[in-house]
Amino acid sequence: MLRQEVLEQFISVVGPDRCKTSPEDLLTYGYDACIYEYVPDAVLFPKSTQEAADIMRIASAEHVFVTPRGAGSGLVAEALAKHGGAVVCFTMMNRILEINTANRYAVVEPGVVISELQKAVDKVGLFYPPDPGSAAVATMGGAVAMNAGGMRGVKYGVTRDYLLGLEIVLPSGEVMVTGTVTAKDVTGYDLTRLICGSEGTLALVTRINVRLLPKPKTKRTLQAVYNSIDDAGTTVSRIVEAGIIPATLELMDKTVIKAVEEFSQLGLPLDAEAILLVDVDGGPESVETEAALIADFCRTQGAREVRVSLSEKENELLWSARRSAFGAVARLRPTCMIEDATVPVSYLTSAIKKVIEICGRNRVQVGVLAHAGDGNLHPLILCDQRDKAEMERVERAMDEIVDYALSVGGTLSGEHGIGIPKSKYLPKQLSETSLSMMRAIKRAFDPSGILNPGSFLEQRGS
Amino acid sequence: MIAEKLREEVYNCIRCGLCMNKCPVYNQLYFEGAAPRGKVQLIKKVLEGKLEPSENFCRMLSLCLLCETCTVNCPSGVALDRLMKAMRAEVSEKFGLPWQKRAMFHLLSSDRLLPFCLFWGRTVGNPLRSLLPADGKVGTIPYHRLPLLNRRPLLNQFPEVVPALGRRVGSVLYFTGCATNYLFENVGRSVIATLTRLGVEVIIPKAQMCCGLPIALSGARKMALKNIRRNLEIFSRDDVDAVIVDCASCGSALKKEYTHILEELGENAEAARTLGKRVLDVAEYLSRFELEKFLRPLPGRVTYHDPCHLVRSQGVREEPRSLLKRIPELEFVEMEGPDVCCGGGGTFQWEHPEVAAGITRNKIKAIADTGAQFVASGCPGCRLQIYGSLDTDAIQVLHPVELVAMALERRLS
Ligand SMILES: Cc1cc2nc3c(=O)[nH]c(=O)nc-3n(C[C@H](O)[C@H](O)[C@H](O)COP(=O)(O)OP(=O)(O)OC[C@H]3O[C@@H](n4cnc5c(N)ncnc54)[C@H](O)[C@@H]3O)c2cc1C
Ligand code: SF4
Ligand code: SF4
Repeated sequence: MLRQEVLEQFISVVGPDRCKTSPEDLLTYGYDACIYEYVPDAVLFPKSTQEAADIMRIASAEHVFVTPRGAGSGLVAEALAKHGGAVVCFTMMNRILEINTANRYAVVEPGVVISELQKAVDKVGLFYPPDPGSAAVATMGGAVAMNAGGMRGVKYGVTRDYLLGLEIVLPSGEVMVTGTVTAKDVTGYDLTRLICGSEGTLALVTRINVRLLPKPKTKRTLQAVYNSIDDAGTTVSRIVEAGIIPATLELMDKTVIKAVEEFSQLGLPLDAEAILLVDVDGGPESVETEAALIADFCRTQGAREVRVSLSEKENELLWSARRSAFGAVARLRPTCMIEDATVPVSYLTSAIKKVIEICGRNRVQVGVLAHAGDGNLHPLILCDQRDKAEMERVERAMDEIVDYALSVGGTLSGEHGIGIPKSKYLPKQLSETSLSMMRAIKRAFDPSGILNPGSFLEQRGS
Repeated sequence: MIAEKLREEVYNCIRCGLCMNKCPVYNQLYFEGAAPRGKVQLIKKVLEGKLEPSENFCRMLSLCLLCETCTVNCPSGVALDRLMKAMRAEVSEKFGLPWQKRAMFHLLSSDRLLPFCLFWGRTVGNPLRSLLPADGKVGTIPYHRLPLLNRRPLLNQFPEVVPALGRRVGSVLYFTGCATNYLFENVGRSVIATLTRLGVEVIIPKAQMCCGLPIALSGARKMALKNIRRNLEIFSRDDVDAVIVDCASCGSALKKEYTHILEELGENAEAARTLGKRVLDVAEYLSRFELEKFLRPLPGRVTYHDPCHLVRSQGVREEPRSLLKRIPELEFVEMEGPDVCCGGGGTFQWEHPEVAAGITRNKIKAIADTGAQFVASGCPGCRLQIYGSLDTDAIQVLHPVELVAMALERRLS
């Protein structure tokens, strides 16, 4: 519980409407997009850097825990007030401050939704590539804090690759600027990229400068249908080996295809074992040659059908179907957990098979989705949170998937982050030295530990 | 109690948030309680007995236009609008409705009181309106932009059976709805003129009542039962081609809400299901005809606003557009976000005027940007909201059928 006088100080900063404390409001800030729940004591909605700084100054003086939050679409509970205190939510601080076409950058407040930025820059012929499946809901602040990746990662990289600079508020309330708006910058430590992916543990992000690209002139979407998941996997390796870099390279297995088809009724083949969705973009000529090359690869690797989309509208339909995959699959059972283990891309096929084998052995229902081009698996594990025995089997399966990914040189999490669900695995991947360096960094930013307590760094075992 | 099947729905919400950014209310307020995800999660807590429904909970439930945008965008297929409607019914039983709503619904559910009041409203009300303060408002709508009442209810202006002109090619039952009957008589006249001109006999049952949707959506489901039963009785006839409606909300009531409400109240819904299959929006019905040979040029530019209750509740998107596009010399221009709710939401604009005003502002801007002088929309609620919020007389808000009738009449004259 927050003391009334502290609450009043907060209200004096944001006003009563932007300080929510009713039980109903608090409950709605007790979750994000995964299964954990922690109800905060207050939710504050700053609209400016000044307000955010004032909030932190008060929190610091009164030793109140603060957990930053964007849209709450995160999958690892990092936006939840795990030890109570205030949630500082940035959804009301959501203006696009500048789109600079001459120097190709944009400056945004943290609450701007990713797809809104994408739309706005598209209108002036520019392109902001990072495109997580949650782009229609997730905020730029959340994307920075989680270093969100997504479907265009294989060619265009992830959020980190587009950050030029940030304005942040330290736990003490001091405001600090990192980076610049120039493409090159080697002045001092790269604090921008330290904040990126810090899961809201180091500072509040209050302004973001991102690099933009010219919009690719054309795009083609290919859809290759397979009778065997092996063949689909091998196709991916072949494409990568050949040095072709498609804009996206996504794989869906049978379970996912079925669920997506049920939701979107696009006429996906229900008897297929796997579908690859491939985008190539760029100048019209190179797009044509690459699309033809990839279509060829798919056929020689055993695709039973390869379709090239004919229009922008068809592209859009296919991709919106792909974006619906998580939800569509989740419909099958009450609970759906997304795994995020990532392997070197040459292991993709064996990893998918391994995941299916592990889940089968543990009697866990699974559908496999993958950002295939960068080896990022998203097994969708279906279960019912209310069933204890089943959840134990799920836990076992997840342990095994992690062990496998690490054994082939992969990582715990490609893009969703560590948070609560994966923190117990951290020591498997990071050495004690590495962990203690991270804790030292955390202490340098947040000596009294008021920002996002209970985060991945502090969780131990389960 | 909320039906068991509906209760399970809350477990289909995986909290992905994909419904949030398209919710017009959330896009004004930016906090979870205003977003569909927040509401489902609260409903879940209530159903699990972990949250006592409070006034604040009711207020959050009321922060919703029931525009169904979230329902059609949820990849998990959560029937959000049905959940929210059922929950509203549940809490209205507990907390009762505000007196204004009670009075209004009492009116709508009574077949003598409504005409009586409207008679006096018409005789005294229309002239009185000029005496009202110029800056007064109902919700977001200034008094002077409220519609005038019909001189006489439409039902009294026509015989029960209006014969087809020329060779009879069809016969329909016409459900006029309150808005056409009492406020927008020209819509009804246009429907009748167009249909009869095409050779369709129009039967207008005199004993029809308000569809009951405004009553049911606010939670007073039991009050709506009387209207539902009466209308089912009158319109369950299979000696006609179809039951025609010109109002998006009445259409969604007759097509599906009747079935949902009866099912959820544990009543027999067979008759409602059968009727639902026979109901057509007038634009849907008209798309069967070769209108071209009847239509004369109507020079101008038109844009179209999709009513929530037509595009999402009924899935009718193309038919009204194609009606408009078939009118010679009428240029059709799509506005930005044609299917985004106008902000009316039945009683929403009156309960949450600031939120509604923000939503409507975006709509008005989208309309103005097209440069059209006609906005077509087959929903009296949208019409009230859009006309009521325009500050120019250069843009007319009409039912698509009114434009069709205008183009038809030109030939006749
Ligand atoms: C359907 C679905 C698909 C997804 N697909 C992808 C995907 O393809 N790739 C991917 O990488 N992720 C994906 N995600 C995960 C998630 O959307 C991303 O992690 C996203 O970046 C979170 O943004 P948010 O605004 O929702 O942040 P939140 O969930 O609100 O917060 C996430 C973290 O960011 C911190 N944070 C938020 N705002 C700030 C701020 N202003 N300052 C400091 N810290 C802040 C929070 O403290 C928390 O630690 C998906 C999620 C869903 C539900
Ligand atoms: S889109 Fe559906 S599943 Fe996702 S949060 Fe909204 S209601 Fe829940
Ligand atoms: S019905 Fe419309 S207003 Fe209501 S929650 Fe859904 S999207 Fe928002």
